[in-house]
Amino acid sequence: MVAEIIESIFGDLTPLATMIIIGIAALALPGIQMFGKRHTATWAFTLIMVLVAMIIDMCLLVDGYAGEYMGVRFTGYSSLLGLLFLIVLFMTILVSNSSVETTRNHAGAYYSLLCGASLGMLFVASSTNLLTIFVGVELTSISSYALVALKRKDGRASEAAVKYAIIGGMSTALTLYGISMLYGITGSVDIAEIAAFLAGYDVTWMVGIAFICMIAGYGFKIAAVPFHMWAPDVYEGAATPVSMFLATGSKKMGLSVFIQVFMVMLIALTVSENVLAEATQYLFAIIAAFTMTVGNVVAIAQTNIKRMLAYSSIAQAGYIMIILAVMTPQAEAAGVFHMFTHVFMKGGAFLIVGALICAGLGEKISDYKGLAKRAPFLAAAMMLFLFSLAGIPPLAGFTSKFFLFASAIGEPGAANGTWVWLAFVAILNSAISLYYYARVVKAMYIEKGATTEKIKIPKPFLAAILICLVFVIVLGVYPDLIFGYCEASFAGLFI
Amino acid sequence: MILSALIIVPLIGAILSLLMGGSREKLAKYVAIAFSAITLVMAVLLTFGMFGDFADLSESFVWISNDAFVINYALAVDGLSILMVFLTALLVLLVNIFSLDEHRENNNYFYALIMAMEVGLLGVYMAADYFLFYIMWEVTLIPMYFMISWYGGPRRHYSAIKFFIYTHVASLVMLIGIFAMGYMSVAPGEAVDMSFEAVKAGIGSASLGLQSLVFALLFFGFMVKMPSVPFHTWLPDAHTEAPTEGSVLLAGVMLKMGSYGIIRICVEALPDAAAYWQWVIIAIAIISIIYGAYGCIAQTDLKKMVAFSSISHMGMVMLGIGCLSDAGITFAVFQMFAHGLITAMLFMVCGMTGHKVGTREIPLLGGLAGRMPVYATFMMIAFMASLGLPGLVGFWGEFPVIMAFYEFILANDVLWMLLFCMLSLMLTAGYYLWAMQRTLFGPETTKIDLSKAHDVGHFEFAALLILSILVAFFGVWPDAALQFIEPYTDLLMGVI
Repeated sequence: MVAEIIESIFGDLTPLATMIIIGIAALALPGIQMFGKRHTATWAFTLIMVLVAMIIDMCLLVDGYAGEYMGVRFTGYSSLLGLLFLIVLFMTILVSNSSVETTRNHAGAYYSLLCGASLGMLFVASSTNLLTIFVGVELTSISSYALVALKRKDGRASEAAVKYAIIGGMSTALTLYGISMLYGITGSVDIAEIAAFLAGYDVTWMVGIAFICMIAGYGFKIAAVPFHMWAPDVYEGAATPVSMFLATGSKKMGLSVFIQVFMVMLIALTVSENVLAEATQYLFAIIAAFTMTVGNVVAIAQTNIKRMLAYSSIAQAGYIMIILAVMTPQAEAAGVFHMFTHVFMKGGAFLIVGALICAGLGEKISDYKGLAKRAPFLAAAMMLFLFSLAGIPPLAGFTSKFFLFASAIGEPGAANGTWVWLAFVAILNSAISLYYYARVVKAMYIEKGATTEKIKIPKPFLAAILICLVFVIVLGVYPDLIFGYCEASFAGLFI
Repeated sequence: MILSALIIVPLIGAILSLLMGGSREKLAKYVAIAFSAITLVMAVLLTFGMFGDFADLSESFVWISNDAFVINYALAVDGLSILMVFLTALLVLLVNIFSLDEHRENNNYFYALIMAMEVGLLGVYMAADYFLFYIMWEVTLIPMYFMISWYGGPRRHYSAIKFFIYTHVASLVMLIGIFAMGYMSVAPGEAVDMSFEAVKAGIGSASLGLQSLVFALLFFGFMVKMPSVPFHTWLPDAHTEAPTEGSVLLAGVMLKMGSYGIIRICVEALPDAAAYWQWVIIAIAIISIIYGAYGCIAQTDLKKMVAFSSISHMGMVMLGIGCLSDAGITFAVFQMFAHGLITAMLFMVCGMTGHKVGTREIPLLGGLAGRMPVYATFMMIAFMASLGLPGLVGFWGEFPVIMAFYEFILANDVLWMLLFCMLSLMLTAGYYLWAMQRTLFGPETTKIDLSKAHDVGHFEFAALLILSILVAFFGVWPDAALQFIEPYTDLLMGVI
């Protein structure tokens, strides 16, 4: 019903509806800021626009809408991922106005950049073409560099932004190189067409190099090992809401690119038993194993909580990369579901860090000593987020990891054993990760802090944390809330 | 709905006592007692068939259903679990009563943790779906972690982390086994039904090699929990540092999760694999029995000694299971129950030693019987029950298991193995009697100041008295418990 109304408003442009709204917001924001200096108005305007986009996306998702306009395809997959990106954007904006780290003087530019970055993500999610994906990714990346740099008074931020921009630029070059080689071989930039061409093609080492270039290029974006070096510096240097945006939003976009490009391409190749498919799967498996292991092991040594969360985020990307090795519909569904749960648990953890920074607390894990006495709700929420990240039932992280690791063991009735070792590595890693998550819990609950003064945090933070908390519990106990859409999204990749 | 109620009532208790912060802190303990009492009453009524035959009371709802999985919220009780349910409900109430004499900082958290643990424990014993089973298994872990690290002894942080990591890693290995079981039990393309029934029905078609591999994974997970040598090292540390209440629940019911899992999952669902690994199980059991008992002799801390004795006694349970015979498993289950009652007494007594005398170091103690006669009486009952004195419950746990093992020895013509049984009995009697002689009797110690030592308090007395009565009752009339176990083992024998 609602979807029909949306269609009657947007007409042919319905597939672009959410993008149009976010785009309008991005373009209008610098202007709005000029009229009067009230950043709260800017904030409220953005929030409403995002909320509208979210509602539209949700309606289209529930309705099962699929459509195409000028090569932009809106499917179950795009609407689901779109929802994810919009949720991240919503939470980031919700807390930004009351965070001390985001510069209010540039509210218009700041929100505009956030919307621009999200527009890129939305664009990526509905692309089926290497070039449009590239454009979307770049839109997000360039906005992100600026977002990191916007925290101007902090030297760490400038350094991080420069690092981010240089490494990002390099990864862009690599990706473009890979794409151009692939175009040279196949004569197309459309993923389905490339797959069809490669299926009947005697693979040369050129295709291999093209693949490796693209994997490395996008590997930088998702901070897969060994392309992860920038991530901890950037997450540490950026304002915490921005760190959250990058860790939950832009990283998911990178993973989405992998799914859209490689999963689609390689599943097509698997049918023709192309040797390239298997080799790439093994490559992904190795990257996944290294990503989670390095992420988790290095996280143990961190004393700064933002860096610890950054490394844990690297590890989580490693878990999700399992699906690229496994390459089954179940795996894709489990991966997308894990992306969702990750948004809430990692987002929640970053939000708490951000909220505590606003309250004057430091970023060191040792600053969290005795937090349970000072802010019982925040400490309890943090504990739940961290336990969820570690995969302890009945929280969302456990359920999504359960589906994820299960998909590595095999399809029902066909535990083929190829990727069981990967599941083993992942489960072992889960156990390692518990160690550093538990350390924060220990600091909050068991060690005594210097003061017992109560901490007050801004209301928007409280609201955002509460949203995350609700979903971390609900998705753990009742994953069917969105898991059905995750399963259905696989078909959307091939429309 | 009675089975769900058994989980929900303590859950409400946990939440309520958690909320009793600040000025209402003292109320928390009464809330906990009230809710655990209701739970116990329900458990008893359930046992005696007030809600109909408990074996017919299963509950099952589809919880998560998608292309890959069907996960159920399924609860069921049978002869194997009913005693554990009763034991859990009983010990939680007694622990709550026992702790009334003591005042702690943040009482409300303490009782909330106990009640949360009860939720998990009852959940484990009643779950009839692997997913639910695993969740409940993990639910027990977190309250215990906090129990040790908030309310424990001086080295509590170390012990709590060690406990957490050991058991969590073990449960992750178990999780892999559970995954594999699920996948092996369905035909290609079907969704995996995680309920006990469905998995058991489907798994028989898998090859023996795969089954034994899965068995090994699951067995490892359970064995760490029991715990068996060489994965026992977390237990003495956890026990030494945990508060008395934590130790009681840890040894009384939490260790039983391990042996329960072995019977319920490893033996019941994978009987062929169990036969395949039989010798390994028996070897591990014997090593645990002897090593645990031997370790006891070396301990100077009374509580640590009891902790080591748990390793030995749980080894006895594993020995019974390893026989894979009717008598072996029946009395292994009985031993689980008996050990639950006895060890609760043991830890209460040892915990009191620390509080009332000031130290638990055996070499510093001596002649306590004169100054604290009631305490000494309970300690003697507990020790005698644990070493297997006829007429007390421990006797029916240990000796029939050894008899069952004897049958196994005869059948396999390995008479020399009898040596181990004799050795274990001798060691057990030895360390208990020696410990008693050094702490209770002889001249009163002059190494510590006994002037402030006081005898058992009212509430402690009540808890210990109830346990003593039960220890004697089931010792004289073991059939009161065996009547529940036997129908289950009869059914199980049909499968094996």
